[in-house]
Amino acid sequence: MLESITRMLLVAGFLSASGLALSHHSFSVFDMETQKTLSGKIVGFEWTNPHTWTWVDVTASDGVVTRWGLEGMSPNYLGRRGWTKNTLKPGDSVELVISPLRSGEPGGTLLRAILADGSTQYMFGGP
Amino acid sequence: MSIRNALLSCLSGSLIIFSAASVEAASSSEQASEKNSYASIAELPALAGLWEISRGGAFNTNTQPRLTPPYAAMAGEYAAAQARGEIQDSPAANCVPPGMPINMREPYPMELLFNPGKITIILEAYSQWRQIFTDGRGHPEDPDLTFNGHSIGHWEGDTLVVDTVGFTRATAMARSFGVRHSEQMRIVERMRLQEPDLLVIETTVHDPEALIEPWVSSVAYNRHADWNLAEYVCQQNNRNFTTEDGKAGINLEYTAD
Repeated sequence: MLESITRMLLVAGFLSASGLALSHHSFSVFDMETQKTLSGKIVGFEWTNPHTWTWVDVTASDGVVTRWGLEGMSPNYLGRRGWTKNTLKPGDSVELVISPLRSGEPGGTLLRAILADGSTQYMFGGP
Repeated sequence: MSIRNALLSCLSGSLIIFSAASVEAASSSEQASEKNSYASIAELPALAGLWEISRGGAFNTNTQPRLTPPYAAMAGEYAAAQARGEIQDSPAANCVPPGMPINMREPYPMELLFNPGKITIILEAYSQWRQIFTDGRGHPEDPDLTFNGHSIGHWEGDTLVVDTVGFTRATAMARSFGVRHSEQMRIVERMRLQEPDLLVIETTVHDPEALIEPWVSSVAYNRHADWNLAEYVCQQNNRNFTTEDGKAGINLEYTAD
């Protein structure tokens, strides 16, 4: 147990050091120690509180399409840091770096988006 | 604006001639209303405006509350249950605001507004407000217990001192929901401009039941003169949830507009 508490503190330290702002909820449902890159097509981008939601269809090598739901910071936070409701548009081909849900469901928290023009938009204010 | 200047401007505006003696004789009730006038607000330190918490920086202290044994036990049990994965989140996941003092430490701006006899703080997170009475009134004898409490304020030099009591036990004292407080919690905030665009708030939490000693911590806020408050309706699209026993989850069902 001591080990897991230490691990939690380390993760908490990492999150605060990276400027990740805790507000609406903890990040316990996400595996914040894992990063995964999704390449896919945007289905929808919900510019809503308390979180933006990015929906993206990812096609696997066998042709099976999985729809991922990705939580992001709020429009209030992102709107002051270079994002708009049009940053991600349906049909856009993007690469999304995420930390996945621990449950294994196709969802996660969005960390950064590499847009079709090659530019990167960060979720927590910077790299 | 001093009383003398206020009267002088009144004199020049209306051409009414006052004797020096009548200036001296300004009654105490007039002095009290002068203190609560819009003109008097212009003389106060420029705390009005939009502020957002600064991450890091020399004025942020990361002190932790020193809890009495029963409260330390509660906090320990909560942390252990979290470590075992039995408790995953706080009621904030269901859009319940955290209450004071954590309300003042959200990653969203707040705006301070000055009116005669009252300072209002609009907290963008969860669309909340606090009101701080500066008209000389005290606290109610038996205040209702609320998330943000009952606040009165006064100035000590260039420092606004805000005293708040009357807190519901539904909220936590610290970011961890296991760190709780009693109904005796009292919060004293000392708000001061460290620099024209840097507001530092030193917060002292008193709670004789929960704390071995008052918990003192400081946080700095940057002024954002070019920002506006934005709407924050937490229930708009909240896909997070936590159950009574603290289990957290996410609703991943996609619904097109």
